Amino acid sequence: MRQNAVTQTISLVMMILSLAACSTSTIIDEYRETNLDLELNGTEQVVIMGRRHAGEYETEPDFIDCIGHRLANGGKVSVMPEQQFLDSFYPWFEPRVAPLKLKRMSMILNDPIISERINSLSIRYLIWVDGSTETTEKSGSVNCALALGGGGCFGFTTWDKSANYEATIWDLKQLDEEGRVKVRTEGSSYVLAVIAPIPFIAQVQADACGGIGDRLKSFFSHTLPGS
Amino acid sequence: MTTPRATQYRTARYSRLILLLATVLVAEACSTDITVNGDYPSALTKKLPHHVGLLLDDTFSHYTFESSEEQDVSMALGQSQVELFNQMFNDMFTNSSRLNSMSKASTSKVDLIVIPHIEEVQLAMPFETRLNVFEVWLKYNLQVFDSNGEPIADWLMTAYGKTQSRLLTSEKEALNQATTEALRDTGVRLVTGFHRVPEIRAWLASQQASAALTQGRGQ
Repeated sequence: MRQNAVTQTISLVMMILSLAACSTSTIIDEYRETNLDLELNGTEQVVIMGRRHAGEYETEPDFIDCIGHRLANGGKVSVMPEQQFLDSFYPWFEPRVAPLKLKRMSMILNDPIISERINSLSIRYLIWVDGSTETTEKSGSVNCALALGGGGCFGFTTWDKSANYEATIWDLKQLDEEGRVKVRTEGSSYVLAVIAPIPFIAQVQADACGGIGDRLKSFFSHTLPGS
Repeated sequence: MTTPRATQYRTARYSRLILLLATVLVAEACSTDITVNGDYPSALTKKLPHHVGLLLDDTFSHYTFESSEEQDVSMALGQSQVELFNQMFNDMFTNSSRLNSMSKASTSKVDLIVIPHIEEVQLAMPFETRLNVFEVWLKYNLQVFDSNGEPIADWLMTAYGKTQSRLLTSEKEALNQATTEALRDTGVRLVTGFHRVPEIRAWLASQQASAALTQGRGQ
């Protein structure tokens, strides 16, 4: 009888947690220079680069890959991988010397060696992504023990994550800024351990990637985000 | 049938073996021993019209950083820095040669001799900083001489690299990643900074002026 009550309570707690956990909230702000689609012919490429000049954080390379896959949209937009671009233009886009403003970018493009490579690789747009995902709050604990007769974990822990990113689109042909997308995603994750740990993880970074990637996609093909 | 004495002897032998194994494991777990291995891309830069001689001595090409503060670290970065310096000077100058000694400079007909020395290596590991990254600082002194062996400049140059947290799969891999990033940053400093060192800039300008004068006389 008592065992049944305990099982029911645990099931109820897990149901509540699974409903509450894994949920994220995303806010997206967008600014466009024009309502028209950005020009991009079949041979031209887009590069997405992470900002890594700040000491205290750096935009995660796997987040940049994720946006790249989202923007490529099954091959509709040609996206050059970040590392390939960095190696092709070494050392001009390394964190120490990468251009932070368009004015500096235009000075870099004044060098014929660099502008020739840009043209030969047909790179039309450079999208800079600045930001990171951080754990903002953490509480609780899970303890595990192992003995001869067996082992198990007990406890409860929760943490909040916040992802803040801003993407800026530079047109390298016109040398102007075409737009910006800002995304803020927050979510809470939990681990409940009753003998075995049961995690409920909120996909904060993945949701931020989806949000920013779909908005960027809509700059090139006038579709509704997510379609 | 085993006697109590034989059992005692066997127990003592097993205990010693376990103790030895534990000692080896603890010693292994507390030391990091790596050979830095990285790929460095070609530099996209306009070549300077000179023949440079690169003198990489044994202390540079076999350099191993060793530290025993809190944790034993041994990091062989000689080979990797040789690869980087060869690559960068090949890309920065129209001609680049490896020299074995200063006396070979006249026979190799070089315009400029560069001798890099590694002055200092600093590491910051997660157990020290409580951050989820490994950081590496490299400090070089580049001695630059003209073809007669006369000193032109002593350039102190620093570079920095850190791991991207996604790559923290093992301590060795993370340390290799941070050092490779620092060497990549060294390449940035060489390509963007070498010709800006005042003494080197003055030497390059004087070479340009004398080349223009020779060309003028020839016409």
